[in-house]
Amino acid sequence: MPNEQNRRPSKVTPQPGGRSPRRKPGQEQSQTVIIPQLSPEVLEKARRAAAEGKTPQQVEQETVAAAEQAARERAAQQTPPAAKPAQPAQKKPARKTRQEAEEELYQSIHDDHLWLNNPVMVRGLGLAPIVATAINGSYAMMLCAAAVLLLTATRVLAVAVCHLTGNRFRALVYAFSAALVYIPAYLILYQWFGSDLALLGVYLPMMVVEPVIIKRMEATELESVGEAFRRGINNTVGLCIAILLVGALRELLGSGTVFGRTVFSFAPLPLASQPAGGFLLLGFLAAVWTAVGGAYVHYKQEEVRHLYVNRKH
Amino acid sequence: MLTASTELTVLQGVAEFVFYAVLAVFAENVVFSRSMGVSRLIKLVNDPEIHTWQYCTPVIFVQLCSAPLGWLAATYLQPVLRQALPDWMPVAALRPLIYLTMAAVAMAVVWLFLGLMPSAWRVPCREQLPMATCTCSVLGTMLLCANQNYTLLQSTGFGLGSGLGYLFAVLVVDEGRRRLGSKDVPAIFRGLPSSLIYIGVLSLALYALVGR
Repeated sequence: MPNEQNRRPSKVTPQPGGRSPRRKPGQEQSQTVIIPQLSPEVLEKARRAAAEGKTPQQVEQETVAAAEQAARERAAQQTPPAAKPAQPAQKKPARKTRQEAEEELYQSIHDDHLWLNNPVMVRGLGLAPIVATAINGSYAMMLCAAAVLLLTATRVLAVAVCHLTGNRFRALVYAFSAALVYIPAYLILYQWFGSDLALLGVYLPMMVVEPVIIKRMEATELESVGEAFRRGINNTVGLCIAILLVGALRELLGSGTVFGRTVFSFAPLPLASQPAGGFLLLGFLAAVWTAVGGAYVHYKQEEVRHLYVNRKH
Repeated sequence: MLTASTELTVLQGVAEFVFYAVLAVFAENVVFSRSMGVSRLIKLVNDPEIHTWQYCTPVIFVQLCSAPLGWLAATYLQPVLRQALPDWMPVAALRPLIYLTMAAVAMAVVWLFLGLMPSAWRVPCREQLPMATCTCSVLGTMLLCANQNYTLLQSTGFGLGSGLGYLFAVLVVDEGRRRLGSKDVPAIFRGLPSSLIYIGVLSLALYALVGR
């Protein structure tokens, strides 16, 4: 049987985008040719088919199909089993250099908005509402709720808008984002606290330009939305801790109660209810906070130093 | 031709303007009495790259321009909105948006006004203008004037006084910060704690001066 008859044109592989490959006119089309070897079994089958009275064309087609099948099976047997995916060489944990370890420590300090980099006690943000209105536990709770509703949402919205504006007009974008977020936030707060909300006076609407809410506008690099959400949550938690702490302490010192429960029958320091007392108390609290945080950071730095004292790097 | 009563009215107006300006500088100082703009002030006095005049000049101009705009919003815009808004939407929810818009308009006016100044003043002041606009002292002053139902003259005087009062507070705290850098101050009090305590003491002194 001439091999010429066994040639079959190969299928044309479609190109990306649905384009067919260009061929110059007259250029011979490349073909994949399967040339099955006619084994004795195949010839025997052909002989049987001829004996059964089939036409020569049928016999030829069946013979070629059987030969191709046999060739495929043979090829499959000869193909070596797929090599197992190479296991990545188990790396030994790379030893960090001292500089890397110190940078990691500083980064963890920078990211810790709860204690070591608290927005109020360490960075001095959000002082206006805390000093002026966080004079007792219930006011502090209202401020906390406002911070929870405003801070993260504002930061995420402002970052999303900044991505659209190419990070221009940051100050206005952040402030107006906060003002827009304030509308639903106020409605929610009004549902929660009712007319008590008026006790916060101008300090509640003023929170839309409070640096703790829109401080990020001063940074020139644009963060991602996910990062803004994560940092917003961290800052919110840090801010709430500071507000509640200051509110409870001022109530204790100013009227001898904590969240309305009597602790002292007298007011140890009535000045604490005034803004001046708020500044003083916050100053002392910040000093204690900084001292404790500084001691912890010093301990961690010493730890790194001892760890790398015998190493060359 | 001015009559005696007209002259008296003008004098009364000027006296009222000056009175409210002085009130805002000392007795109702935005920083010492209301603790507005303290966070920004502490950052400003610790930032060697920003001069006091560079930040406070835009603050004063924005306060001066935004005060009459805030009065307009409180007198004319808010009553209209109160009637137009549905019952479930209190106008108080829109107050920051309204007054912030007024501050932004004032910022645009000041930006144009700064164009008349020499470039040595214009460029650094324009750099700080957005930061100076979006501060608690500007928005807080407008909200205070609206809450107290001040007239146009009183609002403008109070706005100018608030800006000057902020400058006064920055100068006083900056001077104190320089002295608080002494080695005699314990390490844990250096920086933010000493600044806060210093502002608290000044605030107490102002209480004594006013007689609260």
